[in-house]
Amino acid sequence: MATPLAETAAPKKRLSLQALHYKLVIGLYRVFAIIVLYLVLAGIFTYAFVMGFYAISNSWAAPLILSAVDEKSLDFRQKLVTSQQTIEDLKVDAQKMQNGIAEMTKHRAALLALEPQLQQAIVRERTHNRATGPQLAALDSQKQTDNAKTQSVLARLKEVESNINKDLAAGLITKGDAATQLSALNQAQGAYTDSKIAEVLLTDNVLQKTTTGTDSLDVLEKQAELRSETAQLDIAINVAQKELQEDTRQIDRLREAITTAKQSPYYLNASGGQTLYFAFVPYDNQASAVVGRPIYDCYLNMIVCRKVGTVGSLFTGEETAIHPIFKTNMRGFLIQMNLDHPESAKSKTVFLGGKPLLF
Amino acid sequence: MAPILLWLVMVLCLLISVVKYMMGIILRLSFPGSKVQVKKDYTYEPTVSVLMPCFNEGKTVYETIESISKSNYPNDKFEVIAQDDCSVDDSYEWMLKAQRDFTNIRIRTGRNAVNSGKARTVCNALQDSTADIIISIDSDCIFHPEAIRELTACFSEERVGSVGGRVGVRNPNESVITAIQAVIYYSAFQLYKIPENWTRSVCCISGCLFAIRRELLLEIESAIRARHWFGVPVNQGEDRFLTHQTLLRGYGTYINNDALCWTTVPNTLSVLFKQQLRWRRSIVRDFFFTLRTLPKHVWELHPNTVFTLVLTPLGAIVAFLVVVTMLSSDPLAWAGPLPLITALGIGAVLTWVIKKYSVREALAHPLVFGAYVGWSIVSSLFLTPLALCTMDSADWGTRTKEEPEVPLGNATR
Repeated sequence: MATPLAETAAPKKRLSLQALHYKLVIGLYRVFAIIVLYLVLAGIFTYAFVMGFYAISNSWAAPLILSAVDEKSLDFRQKLVTSQQTIEDLKVDAQKMQNGIAEMTKHRAALLALEPQLQQAIVRERTHNRATGPQLAALDSQKQTDNAKTQSVLARLKEVESNINKDLAAGLITKGDAATQLSALNQAQGAYTDSKIAEVLLTDNVLQKTTTGTDSLDVLEKQAELRSETAQLDIAINVAQKELQEDTRQIDRLREAITTAKQSPYYLNASGGQTLYFAFVPYDNQASAVVGRPIYDCYLNMIVCRKVGTVGSLFTGEETAIHPIFKTNMRGFLIQMNLDHPESAKSKTVFLGGKPLLF
Repeated sequence: MAPILLWLVMVLCLLISVVKYMMGIILRLSFPGSKVQVKKDYTYEPTVSVLMPCFNEGKTVYETIESISKSNYPNDKFEVIAQDDCSVDDSYEWMLKAQRDFTNIRIRTGRNAVNSGKARTVCNALQDSTADIIISIDSDCIFHPEAIRELTACFSEERVGSVGGRVGVRNPNESVITAIQAVIYYSAFQLYKIPENWTRSVCCISGCLFAIRRELLLEIESAIRARHWFGVPVNQGEDRFLTHQTLLRGYGTYINNDALCWTTVPNTLSVLFKQQLRWRRSIVRDFFFTLRTLPKHVWELHPNTVFTLVLTPLGAIVAFLVVVTMLSSDPLAWAGPLPLITALGIGAVLTWVIKKYSVREALAHPLVFGAYVGWSIVSSLFLTPLALCTMDSADWGTRTKEEPEVPLGNATR
């Protein structure tokens, strides 16, 4: 059984323990609170300092790691391949066109070579006709006279034939003699017919040699066709030459574009076998981006800096990026960094030309 | 994942706030004179003790008592008990002068033996009271002559345990800071608390004008005196504590916007910061208490009350994390035009409403509320962590503390 003294001592001890407990908790709480508040204050001051620093700094750049499967790089590469393919296609087309032009030029030359020969043949024929035409005409006239005489002779052959038949009937001549005599008559008739045919042919020939006939027209048509074909070839050659020139120009343009494109970081990234490091430089910091200037990487984005490389090259194409601190959109350009410390490519910012602060 | 969760909680808290404001507007417009408001009985005239704790208020104490002396309430049925908490200025002398000058009412003055804090000073003043209704006031306020009558009239509804009045701003155009507070005060009382009024579950009745049934206060008094933070007496946020305790004891709480008083709000950033820090501490402290007894709250209190008790402080805590996340991920987001335009829009509307319905608080410059964006950042960023790290503070907040703290349980008259 507890004594009254013990009964009062127990609550006192409990209160004492509770007071100790409270004191301990409050002590720890105050230490914790002080630390937290100082951390909050430090955070706020750091935040304000970082904001102010980046608002006035003009030497920072934001490293950019372009992946080989970077969308822009892949797109760039695809366009490049397409352009190169287009060049190859154009070159094949141009070659075909050149061959065609050569062929057409050759054909044209052959056609042009025919023209004088044709002309000579026409002149020669005309000269010949002029010489032989009148002669044939005189002969034709002679022939007609001859045939007229022959015809009058033949008109009397009917009477001769009748006399032959009468002599045969009278038994003055034998049948054989009669047949021989009649055959001679027929031969004379046939000769006359042949002579008449010759006359007609001669007349026809005279007509051809003394007037412009269908043969001459045929020759002239051939001449016209020759000239037309030559003219068409001229046009085709001209068109083909212009197309060839256009193709050549397009090839040149594409080659220029590819040459320019090959200077793009995205091309270098997509085509190069080695890892390249780039950084975005806002226009405000353009003055700091000079080829060969040192690049510094810092802890906490601004202090304890070390040189990590140099500026390799500048790319003129405009880029947009998000400000690494303010998260606002910015315009600027890319630079290539020659980094001795590749891990610096993963830093939020690097500084061009010098350390941003004194250390 | 964590930031998304933060944003979700923040959006939920904001949503609840917006819903409450919207409900406030709907209730005000749709149900005038309905169950939203307590059926006031002006024939009910209980005895009233106006307790006025005071610390370093100077002449303001005199003005406060003067305004109470002009109350339209039977003089034989109310008294003023002014209790000084060892002010180091001439506050007590002004109390005595008021006692001499305003003889039309009964004024009792007292002084703590040692500086004890506001909550215990109220309890000490209570010792002299025998009235049915206790009204605790701030010693820097001016009261409308009808304030006491309006407050007591609400107690005719038996389930109402505590009634608050509307606190207006005496100095709305003194500075940008006071103008912002004028808008905040007005919208809080006229809109935000209306849905809480509907369910008789106002979560925090302002200590500027706080009426409570005597038996209820006596029941809670021991808890007030026993409040401590690991042995450090808690003297702040007695209004929130009393309201919370009233609700937990099954009584209703209500704010009667016709019971008016006017307070001089802080006019400098440092004073406002101290005041808001004190309030934020009491919010956090109340939040921890709510969390400790959450099942009881969920089962016994109105969901509207639970939502407010949990989400309001949670929003304040999460707001800190959201602002930190926002500043670290998008530092200039706050500088965008949207928050400013929103604040200006809200400010313009509320300024117009205030000018129309409360000329005394009308703002000279409607656009000053735009500065609230800056204050909300400061408030979210600094107040919560500072409150969380200074929970052991026991001073009067905006008033200079010159005396050492009173050990727990030793607060005497």
